[in-house]
Amino acid sequence: MGRRRKAFLLALPASLSLLVFFVAPMVYILIRTLASDGVSDFADFFSDPFYLNILWTTLRVSLVSTGISLLLGYPTAYFMARTQSNLKKVMMVVILFPFLVSAVVRSYGWMVILGSNGLLNQALLALGLIEKPLRIIGTEAAVVIGMIHLLIPYMILSLVGVLQSIDPNVEYAAYSLGASPAKTFARVVFPLSLPGILSGCVLVFTMSMTSYVTPKLLGGSKFRMMATMVVQEINVSFDWGAASAISYILLGVILAVQFAVVLATSGYMKRMGGGKSA
Amino acid sequence: MPERKESVFCRVVAILVMIFLLSPLVVIVIASFTPTAVITFPPQGLSLKWYENIFGSSTHFMEGLANSLKVGVPATVLDVLLGVTGALSICRYDFKGKNFLLNYFTSPMYVPSVAFAFVLLQVYSQIGGIPGMARIFIGHFIIIMPYVVRNTVSVLHVFNWSLEDAATSLGANPAQVFFKITIPLAKPGILAGALLAFLYSFDEVALSSLLSTPKFITLPLRIMNYMELTFDPTLAAISTLLILASLVLILLMEKFVGLDMFVK
Repeated sequence: MGRRRKAFLLALPASLSLLVFFVAPMVYILIRTLASDGVSDFADFFSDPFYLNILWTTLRVSLVSTGISLLLGYPTAYFMARTQSNLKKVMMVVILFPFLVSAVVRSYGWMVILGSNGLLNQALLALGLIEKPLRIIGTEAAVVIGMIHLLIPYMILSLVGVLQSIDPNVEYAAYSLGASPAKTFARVVFPLSLPGILSGCVLVFTMSMTSYVTPKLLGGSKFRMMATMVVQEINVSFDWGAASAISYILLGVILAVQFAVVLATSGYMKRMGGGKSA
Repeated sequence: MPERKESVFCRVVAILVMIFLLSPLVVIVIASFTPTAVITFPPQGLSLKWYENIFGSSTHFMEGLANSLKVGVPATVLDVLLGVTGALSICRYDFKGKNFLLNYFTSPMYVPSVAFAFVLLQVYSQIGGIPGMARIFIGHFIIIMPYVVRNTVSVLHVFNWSLEDAATSLGANPAQVFFKITIPLAKPGILAGALLAFLYSFDEVALSSLLSTPKFITLPLRIMNYMELTFDPTLAAISTLLILASLVLILLMEKFVGLDMFVK
């Protein structure tokens, strides 16, 4: 009994703080929103093409950023997991270093490179490849580039751990049994790395869905994603009803993704023999 | 073993990704030394005048830095205390609902910070009179707690608890066991968690932009506000200093706890 008491006492400070400052406000405001005519705000959201378009933009940017992060991150992580050279340590530093730099600073870097007066346009003009500066900042492409830069370290870190835990001998065994490299990848490495792929994709997707700085700085004033729209509704339009609808819908999408993944992984883990997820 | 085609492919992609990750940072550092207000490449000479600007009162960057530290440091310290004890309760003892408790401690991660900020904003506006620092502090204190809990749990999860029993049987008292055995062995996780938690708070913009008051504005928000009015290399100068601070942090982490802590 003494041990249970100790566990309870240790858990108490964190539990109470979360209850008072997190759970209680969230529940209280949700009830208040539903009690006032909050439902009509949700109806407005889903009947207004303007808002639906923002939701679609947010989903599209997040899916594209996640896909490209996976395509670029997977070979990178595989190389890091398998290399014997000192390069791995250097690469770890190179990946974690921007990861620790503020999103504002990183977006600013892309503004300097991609702006109409930026490095890229100056170089292309000097080389005579273009006649007038390309407009990149303020487009969805710029947001996707910034987003990948922001989030690809998360993808790589999720994948390196899983790929490292796959014994290289398993791959050699497949080769020696006559499997081609493509077949070894498709039938051995890829299935074994699925937990890392899944956790990396979910992490990058949710962070992209909720990102604020990158779309605001690289997308320009006309480009809107869910998080930037919440802030705009509150600070510019003073429309708290709309802000509340958008933030609860965003929360709903995130929780739905998490829930779907929990369901999918529990099924997958059962088929793989109940291993621990990485 | 001779190098295969596909491993050459992986190496090339990896190097391109590294270049992609570093290029905006390198560009910022070079741009910070340009003498002209419009950044040109290569820079026409060298100048440190933008660095002087940072410390001028018109940018409010130093005031913003002080505000960011006033929120980030106490929030991180408090979260380490609560997060480590919380993680200990989950990993050290066996009881029903352990998993529920872990999910509860990490639940703020699943709520978009802007949604949580809006909830707090509505609560604050009902209560009224809450100073700017407390408004942001409460938000950061909650959203960074999961980072401490998760990283500490990941170390304690594989912790060999019989070491504690061994120390006790050799005559150590509970306090000695805790400070000489448990904490030193859990240190990499606690440090990695504290670092990620502090940086989250230090870089956070979405929540702060809803909860800040005109009198209390954090550094990243100051930088964003400055950007909207003036787009001169002062931004590159302050960014360079922040990049340098991150580089120092990462090298210290590499030296003292190793970077494998960050591989999930």
